[in-house]
Amino acid sequence: MSGPSRAKRAAVAAVVVATAGAAAFWLLTAPRPLAPSAIPAHTPDLANGELLFHAGSCISCHRPAKGTPGADPALPSGGAPFKTPVGTFYPQNLTPDDATGLGRWRPVDFVNAMTRGLSPSGRHYFPAFPYPSYRNVRTTDLLDLFGYLRSLPKVVSPERPPDVPFARVARRGVGLWDLLALRGPRFSPDPARDASWNRGAYLVAGIGHCGECHTPRNLLMVPERSRWLAGGPHPSGEGEVPSLRGLVARKRYKDAADLTLALQNGETFGYDRLSSGGMGEIQENLSLLPDADVRAIADYLVSLPQAPVDGAGAAPRPSR
Amino acid sequence: MIRIKRLSVASALLVASALAAAPLSFAAQTATEAIQARQKAMKGIDGAMESLVAIAKKQAPFDAAVVKKAGETIASHLTEAQGLFPAGSEKGDVQTWAKPTIWSDGAGFAAALKSSHEAATALAGVKEEAAFLPALKALGGSCKHCHETYRLPKR
Repeated sequence: MSGPSRAKRAAVAAVVVATAGAAAFWLLTAPRPLAPSAIPAHTPDLANGELLFHAGSCISCHRPAKGTPGADPALPSGGAPFKTPVGTFYPQNLTPDDATGLGRWRPVDFVNAMTRGLSPSGRHYFPAFPYPSYRNVRTTDLLDLFGYLRSLPKVVSPERPPDVPFARVARRGVGLWDLLALRGPRFSPDPARDASWNRGAYLVAGIGHCGECHTPRNLLMVPERSRWLAGGPHPSGEGEVPSLRGLVARKRYKDAADLTLALQNGETFGYDRLSSGGMGEIQENLSLLPDADVRAIADYLVSLPQAPVDGAGAAPRPSR
Repeated sequence: MIRIKRLSVASALLVASALAAAPLSFAAQTATEAIQARQKAMKGIDGAMESLVAIAKKQAPFDAAVVKKAGETIASHLTEAQGLFPAGSEKGDVQTWAKPTIWSDGAGFAAALKSSHEAATALAGVKEEAAFLPALKALGGSCKHCHETYRLPKR
C-alpha cells in the first residue's frame, strides 16, 4: 500500500499552516484589558476633567455631525465624520446615555479604552482614536475626565460603524499594530527639568496627543519616535504638518511667551500659522486652559532642538 | 494615398499640439504671477497686522491714526486679492498653499474675502480704544475662517 499522494500531503500541510497562522493571529491580536481591581478608588475632580477635555480637544472629533436635528454642537455626542487615509470614522457618543454613550461604562472600561484602545466588550478600537498618546495620561486624570463626561447631559446618539474596507478583520488586526505602537515606556517626568516644562511635556505627549499629527509615521503608520514632533505630511493627504522643533531657532516664535500668546489668541493676534489643517479649532480649545498650562506647553515646545534625535535611545520619553 | 493621409493627420496633430501648448505656457506664466502677487498681498496684510498686534499686546499705545492706516492697508490688499485667484491659478511654478476649495467653492471664498474686507474697514474706523480689541478680534476671526477653509496647512 502506498502512502497518501503528494497532492494530498500538500493539502494537509496547507491546512496545518493556515490553521497555525490563524491561531497565531488570534492569539497575538487578543485584547488584554486591565482588570477592574487595577483601578484605584478615586473621587473625580470635575474641574480637572473639564480642563483635560479641552486640552485633548475631545469635542473636535466627538461632536455631532453638522445638521443633526436638535444636536448641541458643544456636547460630545459623536457622529461627525473623521476622514483618515484608512477610511472614514464616526467617533462615538461620549455623553452618559445608557444605551448609546458611556452611561453603563465602569471606570475600568474608560481606562481600557483610553490606554489600551479596547471597548468594554473587548473589541479593538481603530487608532484613529489616539489611545497610543492617551496611555501617557495618569489614571487619576483619566478618572477625572471620565467623571466630567459622566456629568454632561445625556444625548441619544447611536454608534455608526466606520467606513473601512474589511473592517472586521482589520479591527482584529489592530491588535498586531498595537504590539508595535504600544511598545516602550509611558511618559515619565524628567527630574532635571522644572515643573512647568514637565507639565507641558505631559500635556503634549498625553491628553493633547500632539504627536498624532506632528510626528511623522513609518510605513506601518506607527509614529517614528526618533522624529518626535518633527512634522510631516498632513493626515488628510493635503498639505503638511509643521515641525514643532526649533520653533525659536526657525523664527516661528520669539520665545515661550510669544508662543503662549499665539496659542491663546491665534489669528486674533496675527499668528496666522495656527489656523489651517484643523489647528484653528485646537487653538481655540487650548485657549480655554489656564494661563499656566498654555505657558507650560510653550515652555516644553520651545525647548525642543531643531534637529530630531537620530538612532539609538531616541525619545523613549518625549523629553528627548 | 493612405500614406499621404497619415502624414496629414500627423501634421495636423503636430499643429494642434503646438497651438495647445502655447496658451498652456502662457497660462502657467500668469498662474505663477497670480500666485506671487497674492502672496505679496498677504505679506502686505501681515505687515499691517504687526502694528495692530503691537497695540493689542500693549507693546504700543492705542493710536487711532495708526489703526486707520493699518486697517485701510489691509482692506486695499483684500480688494486686490479678489482678482488674484483666477481660474487656472491653482498651481504654478512656485509653491502655493491655496486649497482647491477656493475654485470649487468660488462663492464661499468671495464671501469670506468680502467679510474680511468689511472687518478691516470697520477696524480702520475705530476711534476709541475700547472698540479696538473687539474690532481686531473680528478681523482676526475672519482671517482665521478663510485660512481654515481655503488654505492648506504648511510646514
